[in-house]
Amino acid sequence: MSYQRTTTYTRHQGNWNRNQNTVAFASAVKLGPVTHTVLVALMITVLGLIYLTQATRATGYDYEAQKIDTKIAELSSQKTDLEVENARLTALETVRNSTVAREMTSPAATDYVRE
Amino acid sequence: MTMPRGIMSGNRTRLLAVVCVGIMAIFIVRLFYLQVIDHETYVSLANQEQLKRLVIPAARGEIYAMDAETPVKLVLNETVYTVFVDPQVVTKPKEVIETIRSVAGGNARDDLEKLVGKKDSRYQIVATKVTRKQAELTKKHKLAGLGFQATSQRVYPEAQLAAQTLGFVNAEDKGQYGVEGYLNDRLTGEDGVLQSVTDVSNVPLTIGRHNINQPAKNGDNIVLTIDRNIQSYTEKALADGLARTGATNGSAIIMDPQTGKILAMANLPTYQPAEFTKVTDAEAFNNGVVTRPYEAGSVFKTFTVSTGLDTGVIQPNSTYVNTDSIKVEDRVISNAARGHTGTITIQDALNYSLNTGMVTIAQRLGDGSQITKGARDTIYRYYHDKFGLGELTGVEVSGESAGRVISPEEEGGNAVQYATMVFGQGLDVTMVQVAAGFSAMVNGGTYYSPTVIGGVMDSNGTLKPAPIKPAREGIITQDTSTKLRQMTHEARQLFPPGDRPGYYIGGKTGTSQTLDANGKYRFDQTIGTYLGFGGSEESSKYVIMVQVSGKNMNLEGNIHAKPIFTDISNWMLDYMKLQPKG
Repeated sequence: MSYQRTTTYTRHQGNWNRNQNTVAFASAVKLGPVTHTVLVALMITVLGLIYLTQATRATGYDYEAQKIDTKIAELSSQKTDLEVENARLTALETVRNSTVAREMTSPAATDYVRE
Repeated sequence: MTMPRGIMSGNRTRLLAVVCVGIMAIFIVRLFYLQVIDHETYVSLANQEQLKRLVIPAARGEIYAMDAETPVKLVLNETVYTVFVDPQVVTKPKEVIETIRSVAGGNARDDLEKLVGKKDSRYQIVATKVTRKQAELTKKHKLAGLGFQATSQRVYPEAQLAAQTLGFVNAEDKGQYGVEGYLNDRLTGEDGVLQSVTDVSNVPLTIGRHNINQPAKNGDNIVLTIDRNIQSYTEKALADGLARTGATNGSAIIMDPQTGKILAMANLPTYQPAEFTKVTDAEAFNNGVVTRPYEAGSVFKTFTVSTGLDTGVIQPNSTYVNTDSIKVEDRVISNAARGHTGTITIQDALNYSLNTGMVTIAQRLGDGSQITKGARDTIYRYYHDKFGLGELTGVEVSGESAGRVISPEEEGGNAVQYATMVFGQGLDVTMVQVAAGFSAMVNGGTYYSPTVIGGVMDSNGTLKPAPIKPAREGIITQDTSTKLRQMTHEARQLFPPGDRPGYYIGGKTGTSQTLDANGKYRFDQTIGTYLGFGGSEESSKYVIMVQVSGKNMNLEGNIHAKPIFTDISNWMLDYMKLQPKG
């Protein structure tokens, strides 16, 4: 039984080290300096657009946050109003002048529970 | 001679290039100047335009009272609106006027036609203190030229209850008088800051490098020790008492002698804190219990007896010979109540409020016949150092007065002065000082600094109790305290007091003369006072002090102040659910 080498050698053959790719493909398409410049410009444009999108989105969140803040302030104001109303309705003078209080009668006699 | 075409074309191109380069150079230099050299100026201008610094107002802390064990709001904040118009923008003046009148009602200005018609003005206030609901109703009409400015105002659901203890907040949002004045800094809190780039509608945006968001720190929500039910009944009892007696002024304080907590402080005449601008006499703002020192009169004899008992120079049944007058140096001091002459006990002297008995105690603190320097030092040590008379108690109400107890080291601190001090003349003390000192006498001998602060309500609505003020323990012995309670209990029983049976109530009357403009005692104007405690034989549950006065009126402790004490005391027994003995 004999062993056969399966490794394909390229022009680098004889000069490769362990863990290095040993296959290289050379593209048939060649890009010139103008194309490179255009591509770089396009990439910059895309990056700029991404930045603008993100910045606009952040500003959009600001408006949402503002709406929520306004809502919180409004609800807080309503809560305060209700607390004031509650305090007025449960004030001693209000309770004393209530229908229930006016219909109460004084007991004829009182005693204490003895333990 | 003409130039060849090629040469001419080359020159023009070069010229054009030079011009273009020159123009570009100008642009570059100008841009460099604007963007680099003058950078800060333009950044500053841009910030002025885009960067807004808004103040986030801190909410003023609310004030609570106790309803037995539950805190209830006594002072709240409410957002109200000031409605204004820009007369130059108003297009429908009649509709504006009708809307404001119908919605704002009594809060609208009377001369609306005149205000809205002022075409040379851009800002006219047409209604104040408009509620949120009223403001919303007005906004629904979508009237051009109407604007709303939100402000916060204090609301007092219990109206004038505890007015002098609370105080009020003035137009500059500053607390005045009472707790509002004393704790203004704690109640005010700290405003926050929001600095941000904003859009044209002033909506803050997160873009920008100089944004600041520092939230406001709201003021503390203070919980008072004042019980609104006790306060309410005390005010009613005091008003009834004044109506019965014809007195024009009255004050009362109720304390828990076991803690120093003030449960009620009432003063008449009073006022509505929400309408403080309508008060014509500023004296109504003062809490007389803490601000008005006076000669307490015979209620002060409890302090002298306590001093005598604690130093061991007397016992309740110690005797002396009463001749209705006693000589101190070149002065003769007489009793107001005459006829109880002969050999009598100190208990008798307290019962009949005899000045000679108190002078006798002072003499026994000395060499037995003179109020020596040593006796005066002892009296001063008890009055001032132990019972806290003549110095600020630290009660958290604005305008507290220290009063004055003359020291033996001072020029006026002689034997004659001290001979009058021992029965409540010749010294100025406040009711809160007397009530706090008396509390120590009836609680076993521990002096608690009087306080109206029960704690702070946190954001979750949980009451965090205030730290306990340091107490002075053992200022008198338990034995002295027990004897003094017995003696005042007996003194109270001398005249049928109308107490509920089965309880242990003690007290002492006081009728003090007032001074005229020349510093001489008047006999036609006296202040009636009553000082006492209630509870069981084992423990005192409350201390009450009542004072009534009136211009050119002779008011007495026994006749005019004592019934008010009895009224409040009997009610307190029920309110505190104290079970009678026997």
